[in-house]
Amino acid sequence: MNMISDPNGELMQPRTKPFRAWIIASLVVLFAFENSGCSTAKPPTEILSRAEMDLRAASEARADEFAPMDLQSAREKLEGSKKAMAAKRYEDARRLAESAQVEAELATAKAEAELTRRAADDLRRRLDTLRAETERGPIPASSPASGKE
Amino acid sequence: MKLNVFLGRRTVYTALSLMAFLSIGCGVVQNPALERARDAYNRARQDREIAGRAGVALDKARLTLEQAERVWAEEKDVTEVEHLAYLAEKRIEIARATARRRLAADDIQQLNPQRE
Repeated sequence: MNMISDPNGELMQPRTKPFRAWIIASLVVLFAFENSGCSTAKPPTEILSRAEMDLRAASEARADEFAPMDLQSAREKLEGSKKAMAAKRYEDARRLAESAQVEAELATAKAEAELTRRAADDLRRRLDTLRAETERGPIPASSPASGKE
Repeated sequence: MKLNVFLGRRTVYTALSLMAFLSIGCGVVQNPALERARDAYNRARQDREIAGRAGVALDKARLTLEQAERVWAEEKDVTEVEHLAYLAEKRIEIARATARRRLAADDIQQLNPQRE
């Protein structure tokens, strides 16, 4: 009876010790959770919309025709990113969206390079034809092309 | 010699061996994806066509590669480093394609006066 009435007595010790341990354990768990990234990762909406935009640009640059593998891979990763986003796996969603964005950019670069190369080849061929015709002498008056003009 | 007297020979030797062991350890731990991306970047940088015609695109690749190296050195986060190394390799490919496009555009530019 004496022990209970004494607020600073030995009886209090068995009650405060586990309480303190619980507080420390909770703080450790909270710290670990904060650091794990679960609570800090944000939905990567910005990078996802940029990837969508770059995929549209790739389609407009005729990447379907000139860089089909890269474009297909970019599309699949964008879909994967959206699924990860819906499942709240934001780290995965960010990585997939970043990959989709860079692959779409690559598809555009490849398509543009191929189109420009074709244009250069075409121009070179036309110049060669023109040069050959000039070397052969004046074009006859009966030429259908000159007749139309 | 003075250091040996002050700390004791055994302590100095132990400290030196520990330092050597740690520095060897740091050098050995490598990430294959990061190594691959670094090699690809060095090859692209030495290519005059790419360095001359796609400097900006190559710079973007370098920045991504540096980010990958930082993450590897500070966090050893394998998933993130592999992801960044992949992005760096794709950026190098973009630089290659950009250089090809500029080369073809220069061809067109040179051929056009002949046309006139």
